[in-house]
Amino acid sequence: MQERPISYAEAICEATDQAMQLCEKVIVLGQLVDTPSGIFGTTTGLADKYGADRVQDFPVSENLMTAAALGTALTGMRPVICHQRLDFMLYSLDAVANWLALWRFKSNGKSGVPVTIRAIVGKGWGQGPQHSKSLHSWFAHLPGLRVAMPSTAFDAKGLLLESIFSEDPAIFIEGRGLFSMREHVPEKPYRVRFGKCAIRRVGTDVTIVALGAMVPPALRAAASLEAEGISVEVLDPRTLAPLDRQGILESVSKTRRLIVAEPGWHSFGAAAEIVATATESLGDRLLHNPIRIAYPDSHTPMSMALEAKYYPGEPDLVAAVKRAVSE
Amino acid sequence: MELSHKSIALAGDHTSLDPSSVGRDTSLKLYRQMLRLRRMEEALLAEYHPADEMRCPIHFCIGQEAVPAALSLLLGRDDFLFSHHRSHGYFFAKGAPMRELFAEIYGRESGASGGMAGSQDISHPASNFFSGAILSGAVSIAVGAAMGFQLQKSGHISVAGFGEGATDEGAFWESVNHAGNKKPPMLFVIENNRYATFSDQLKRQERDNICERVRPFGVGATQIFGNDVVLVWQTLAAEIQRVRNGEGAALVEAYTYRWNSHVGPEDDGFNHYRSNEEIAFWKRNCPIRLLQEKLFELVWISSEEIAAIEEEIAQEIAGCFEFAKTARFPEVTDWTRLNFASSSPLADRLLADEESMNFNPAQSEAKLAPY
Repeated sequence: MQERPISYAEAICEATDQAMQLCEKVIVLGQLVDTPSGIFGTTTGLADKYGADRVQDFPVSENLMTAAALGTALTGMRPVICHQRLDFMLYSLDAVANWLALWRFKSNGKSGVPVTIRAIVGKGWGQGPQHSKSLHSWFAHLPGLRVAMPSTAFDAKGLLLESIFSEDPAIFIEGRGLFSMREHVPEKPYRVRFGKCAIRRVGTDVTIVALGAMVPPALRAAASLEAEGISVEVLDPRTLAPLDRQGILESVSKTRRLIVAEPGWHSFGAAAEIVATATESLGDRLLHNPIRIAYPDSHTPMSMALEAKYYPGEPDLVAAVKRAVSE
Repeated sequence: MELSHKSIALAGDHTSLDPSSVGRDTSLKLYRQMLRLRRMEEALLAEYHPADEMRCPIHFCIGQEAVPAALSLLLGRDDFLFSHHRSHGYFFAKGAPMRELFAEIYGRESGASGGMAGSQDISHPASNFFSGAILSGAVSIAVGAAMGFQLQKSGHISVAGFGEGATDEGAFWESVNHAGNKKPPMLFVIENNRYATFSDQLKRQERDNICERVRPFGVGATQIFGNDVVLVWQTLAAEIQRVRNGEGAALVEAYTYRWNSHVGPEDDGFNHYRSNEEIAFWKRNCPIRLLQEKLFELVWISSEEIAAIEEEIAQEIAGCFEFAKTARFPEVTDWTRLNFASSSPLADRLLADEESMNFNPAQSEAKLAPY
């Protein structure tokens, strides 16, 4: 097979381009989506190719944008909306939580609204507290909303196409730090299903369930631990809603040790849900208490000195694995 | 002069309703639709307690029949209508079946929303009617539907009906801004009944001049006395024609009044938010009564004909109660199926499955820059 490495940002752009090519109902809405730079390279060239009707620079009205996307979906469109930082979309929480997530339910299944919300999470270089929130756990808490957190270029493309052409609203959370990372991505349009985890690395001693931006440090930790004779399995759920609980349980049944690496706050988050999933079924079989590696329960500091302390990484995961196997 | 609740009260009783300007046929249709809505609401009010079989909040719309009645004659099936918690008139305006409204309120499987939504969140997708209780949310959605129609050059229009309370919301002004700028086929219809629950518009807003504030956004705005159903019909007909012709978004503000409490059958007068004189004024200027008086004057309808219409409506209502009360309650075996689609036909047609677990972790994260 010919390798075709492209970046995470290019994969998103390619998926959007192909979706617009495949179906004229696909439209893109967002602030500056029509500019030459695109949204960090994820919408570049689309306005030239498909015109201002289908690639619409939108006013700074996030709530309207989300509700209006829902409205276009009722008329048969398949909107993709973009937020350059997830923090900006918090004005749209009414549209998301009161309308979009419960539209199908409220109509007793008679009306669906396939809206895809792309939300980018900043990390590093002083993004500070209003440019760095992920909030994937908030969204996964809502019934009726699907939540994707792709970590690779391959998954970014497949999950975005799947979001656009499936029948339910989805929020697509993109780690800004992942945008430059390259992976082999097939040229043709394809789907990656929600609710099916990827086994990024096979191992036998410890399972690390890593979400989104925590996948690369988890894999680096696993590689360095192998040199010390510790075999780590790295699982990437890829989507939080639905969550592949079965895949997690299969891995943890084998390793009997669980660490969850979450790019979000420690308390009340996805890591807690994943730990609960494991302990509800396997609690008495575990060899070590599950460990959460997550952000401190604090807003994100701007200063580079504190950023380095705030974000957990490979050393934290290595230490956690060693604790899990030695205690 | 700009209209306001104050100017309407000062002007005194409304006497200028003129059925001859729209003809007998339209006048009688408007009369019948208003009466049907009125009698239905009265019947639901009477049955609400002590039976207690309708266990959901209902915001009755008695007194506000003119706008929905006029819309019912002016909108096509493919046009979309979005409303709010006081939804029953709008449900009618899209021709959705009354018995499905009853069954919904009774929480039955055959309800318009299968018993999931109730009165304030009801929808009837087959009729392109949708509502919801959070103020202004549906107004923004309506603008999106209008954008969809504009993109597809469908010739359909999107209408949002709401109260003046919704204009407190930022979402309303975001909607007006965008509709004025992009000119999709969008009609905003405000039923200004003065109060957001118990709160006077002038307690919440510096001035009661919504239309004046809307016009600079590029949205044509018209104010009318909303209990003159002939005037309401004429105004909405003209604005709908303009919107359908692609002349941009429009707004109509119809001044009207709800007779009952904000919600439910209990009297909320103990909150002392409105005067008996005000209530009496609006009851004297009831939209049905104003039209009926003129129909009698013109000898376009007789007491016998009204009695026949009343009988027909009474039978329809009785049939709806029967339908609702004898219908099955919904059952749930899978909560997930209520909240998520069970198939993805378009994705199945367009996309093939691919899988790759690869990830080369020996890459550094993207270096961020000021932008």
